[in-house]
Amino acid sequence: MRGSRPSAEQERELVVAAEAGDEAACRQLVELFLPAIGGIARRFNIGGQVQRSELMQEGVAGLLFAARRYDPRMETPFWGYASFWVRKAMQELVAELTRPATLSDHAVRGLARVRAAQRAHAQAYGVEPTSAQLAALTGFKRAQLDRLLAIDRAPRSFEEPLRADDGTAATFGEMVADPRPEKEYEQVLDKLEIQAVRGHAERLDERERTVLWRHYGLGQPPQTLSEIGAGLGLTAERIRQINQGALEKLREAVMQSPDGGGAGI
Amino acid sequence: MTSAALRHNAFVYDNDEEYVARSVAFLKEGLQAGESAIVANTRDALAMMRDALGPDADRVAFVDVSATYTRPARAVAAYYGTFLEHLRRAPSVRAVADFQVGPTPAEWQEWIAYEAITNLAYSHLPVWVVCTYDANGLPDPVLESVGQTHCELLGHGWQDSDDFEDPRALVRKLTPEPDPLLELRSFSAGDDLEAFREQLASELMAEKVPAGKALDMLVAGTEIAANAVRHGAGIEEVRVGRAEGRFVCEVVDRGGGFDDPVAGYLAPREGTGTGLWVARQLTWRVEPFASPRGFAVRIWL
Repeated sequence: MRGSRPSAEQERELVVAAEAGDEAACRQLVELFLPAIGGIARRFNIGGQVQRSELMQEGVAGLLFAARRYDPRMETPFWGYASFWVRKAMQELVAELTRPATLSDHAVRGLARVRAAQRAHAQAYGVEPTSAQLAALTGFKRAQLDRLLAIDRAPRSFEEPLRADDGTAATFGEMVADPRPEKEYEQVLDKLEIQAVRGHAERLDERERTVLWRHYGLGQPPQTLSEIGAGLGLTAERIRQINQGALEKLREAVMQSPDGGGAGI
Repeated sequence: MTSAALRHNAFVYDNDEEYVARSVAFLKEGLQAGESAIVANTRDALAMMRDALGPDADRVAFVDVSATYTRPARAVAAYYGTFLEHLRRAPSVRAVADFQVGPTPAEWQEWIAYEAITNLAYSHLPVWVVCTYDANGLPDPVLESVGQTHCELLGHGWQDSDDFEDPRALVRKLTPEPDPLLELRSFSAGDDLEAFREQLASELMAEKVPAGKALDMLVAGTEIAANAVRHGAGIEEVRVGRAEGRFVCEVVDRGGGFDDPVAGYLAPREGTGTGLWVARQLTWRVEPFASPRGFAVRIWL
């Protein structure tokens, strides 16, 4: 799909297929709109606290959520609709990651101990202590120390100006390698795969699936109950019972999982 | 203390501080009375609530709704499932749920109707739901609907809404009449449900519907066809085909039909049918309507 813009009808079919959980359609849809998602991500002045790859992942999740809600009756082009959810997903991520952290009393006291040790070491020796020295000075384990230092670390702005050797100015963000877009949404698609296998048909055992698939010709030519029975060494009546039981099981699966098999709340 | 049946109230907030203060007070009151507590919102708002609840946060369920509100029927079912789970370990539940909506007026109407449906969907459960509305983030028509869909609003204490409308009447008003779909083709399977399924499966495969989705339609279609046979004096006609990119199946029966705009949205309980509920959970949209050939139920996959 990349490189050739689909017609409005093709785009709608792609959205419907993505909504139905077709993973290939989800990938196509994401590939199609990845540049547009990137365009929205670039507009966020995120000050280094949110990585571009995180924004892209949220944007992809927003796009796929839009596909699950989009109704052509809205008389709005898909991207006109989806861009709202892409932007909203990114805004929520930025709000979540840049909100002031609330530290526990324990963490505040620990951080004060670390800063005091840093100051004392710098005054005594004229240099900042290494992590190992800081651990020894404070009594914290390395993992504890790393967590506290991460809280204390001032974020480096993407817009922070850098001075190149030739005197030309660049920003930190421009110097950071932009990872391949495929990697940015791989995690989101992995989650989709997990959801896909939670479909109601998964409640069926192998024999029930075989009977339903063959009888109704799902992805293969349909067979009569007798033909299926002959293949499985069972009577046509037994196949009919298995068929009925499988349909009833599917119905029960919907009744027992009140979220309709979806993600729930 | 939450009453024996659903209370579905709302408040509109101007800023995060007001949202947090009112929500926390409401939930803490419930926790002190031994009730279960749920907050449903986006992740950033949940983080605010977690901080504000302090040690009580450990007793509250935080629900990320980023991907919940896909279709009204599925959102009803998702909340219903969550409430049932909480009611297994507490006598009653308090929930604060933030209203989320997209950018188009058609969607606003659909989700305002969803709020009206909520008054009936799990009205039998001892749950007190407070819906929260962001005055600065939601469109005016949505904000103006809050009093129509919630019988009590939080001002200085809980006050009856002067605008509250009968939920069924409001849903009827907000639900568009289905347009005729001339592109559908008909087949006749009589009242034999197995013959109906076999023919429907053949049509689904002809339209290249993936097997998993085809199975959903077979189960949903069976429910509607069975209703037509049991309650609708038999199947008059079945029409299938593609419309707006989706596979559609329309079952027309010979009976008088029913006129209940919330049919299939009410969580299963004694005295309610389950066929339409199952069909709504498995498909995109289910539309019951009076057609020239008889009472019809149209299923969009």
